[in-house]
Amino acid sequence: MSQAQQAADIAFDHVGVTYPNGFVGLDDITLRIGGGEMVAVVGLSGAGKSTLVRTINGLVPISSGQITVGDVGLKGLRGKGLRTVRSEIGMIFQSFNLAKRTTVINNVLMGRLYHTPAWRALLAAWKRDDVELAMQALERVEIVHKAYAKASELSGGQQQRVAIARSLAQRPRVILADEPTASLDPPTSHVVMRDLQRINADLGITVVVNLHFLDLARRYGQRLLGLREGRLVFDGPGADADEGVFESIYGRSLTAEDMLPGHQQAAV
Amino acid sequence: MTPLGTTPAADPLRVAEAPPPAPGSAGIGSTVGSNPDSPAGLPPGIPPAARPKRPHRRLRQVVWALVSAVVVAAFWSVDISWDSLGHAPARLVHYIGLMFGPPAWGQLPAAVSATMLSVAMAWFGTMLGIVISFPLSLLATRGLTPVWVRWPIRGFFAVLRAVPEVVIAVLMLSVTGLTAYTGALAIALGSIGTLGKWGYESFEAVDRGAIEAANAAGASRAQVMRWGVWPNAQPDVLAFWLYRFEISVRASAILGLIGAGGIGKMLMDNIQFRVWDVVGMLMITVVAITMIIDQLSGMVRIRIITGRWDLPFAARLRRRRTARATASAPDGTARAAASDPAGTANSEDRRKAEE
Repeated sequence: MSQAQQAADIAFDHVGVTYPNGFVGLDDITLRIGGGEMVAVVGLSGAGKSTLVRTINGLVPISSGQITVGDVGLKGLRGKGLRTVRSEIGMIFQSFNLAKRTTVINNVLMGRLYHTPAWRALLAAWKRDDVELAMQALERVEIVHKAYAKASELSGGQQQRVAIARSLAQRPRVILADEPTASLDPPTSHVVMRDLQRINADLGITVVVNLHFLDLARRYGQRLLGLREGRLVFDGPGADADEGVFESIYGRSLTAEDMLPGHQQAAV
Repeated sequence: MTPLGTTPAADPLRVAEAPPPAPGSAGIGSTVGSNPDSPAGLPPGIPPAARPKRPHRRLRQVVWALVSAVVVAAFWSVDISWDSLGHAPARLVHYIGLMFGPPAWGQLPAAVSATMLSVAMAWFGTMLGIVISFPLSLLATRGLTPVWVRWPIRGFFAVLRAVPEVVIAVLMLSVTGLTAYTGALAIALGSIGTLGKWGYESFEAVDRGAIEAANAAGASRAQVMRWGVWPNAQPDVLAFWLYRFEISVRASAILGLIGAGGIGKMLMDNIQFRVWDVVGMLMITVVAITMIIDQLSGMVRIRIITGRWDLPFAARLRRRRTARATASAPDGTARAAASDPAGTANSEDRRKAEE
């Protein structure tokens, strides 16, 4: 698939997020993610991983500071301007977020909605080029044979790959992944992470992925961001993240729990 | 009421259950391990935990008292004539004899065509109701429209639901006259109320995931509705439409009673002229046709929701097909082929081509 657009830089400049209930999601985050990087975000539940990823496409609005994606500032962005930024940022979710009762190809074509006129979207009269693009995206994640199956008939791993294809169909400059493996078993988790890694390497798309498990983060993230209570406590190569670093992120020493599903919740 | 700290052994009830060990000697002489016969039911050395007090359900008592009072009041106010109740069974038998001994089957064709008029009334009314209620229920969905748009529409639905179709029809008689068309319009108005409510409730109950994904991809509000909400709400909404049609079929028979045409009108005319054998035949016809429509519509609804026909013999048909597929494809593709007979044909063609 030809990638028309350049991977985008992402810059956080003293970003703060305070939720309506007063909970501080992010506290004065300043960092820069270069175009084409693959970054893993780790931290306890409630540390702000999800918030950080969701501010990049404006799903969570920022309260202070500024985020710049490419050359567009997100603060206060609404309506068409926000939709334009979002159309260039693909997103993958923990629970796949497919429209389960329609076909796989329709789900992938949802990635083209920004470029589809209202009447075409209403009648599902997709443009031929867009269908071709969607098929290519499905080929890249090796699931094109399921194009006309109902999304609900697929296994969890297959559904997540459809979601990756949907984000690819956007021809994105950035892909965000919010705990993409949390609903998957370990072997499938590796398949999905390798897909993301390949997309990053082959297409040069910036990938920001927040991960539950440290072993996955260390293995797939060229760069690791550690969050604790909304603050950035580590930023460096995965290889540098030793025992002491993990203790600073998790507030305790590393245990087997951090490599397995169901590790403990942070007290909020 | 036992104080919280008291040991169960001191509880008179417990002692009565198991008299042999003296009170206070709970389990001291018993062997290690839980002994269900010991007064405490606990191994020795473990103090019993504090037990919760049985909660008073004051509200429940008040509700029961109120319900009982309403029932008693209702008995008083309807003024039941207990004398005539004694004669009722005999009279019932008399009229059943008049109606069904035997029913006047000669008029069956007229009855069937009158029923079809009722069904047509129900179908047209429901369709009209769908066309009007669908956009309205979109506008009444939380998260899509502001409160000042949403609440008036919801209020409109609620008013329509509160008024029975018969009353709507009576109100409309003066405008459109005593025709089947009036009945259809009354059904349309009545169904807008229920269809509208079911519509916005199923739009709101839809899984948020696809909506979030559509938003994240930069979709517009209308596109989010079409691709984030509709695919997941569609089966439920279609099923509701059919269910509403079933209700409309029953409502249309009643509308006939006030003269809006169809089977209800025929029934009313014959009751007025006391042609009981025709009335009996009409009742059998109405019940039979209504039940058939209910069954068919119900099957289609199950197909829409589950994606699979729930027909009699369906299971046997599937088994036979599976058996055939297994016989023709011994190489392990049998399972895939069984769910897709067309696929079986394809793979057979391919095998022939390879030969």
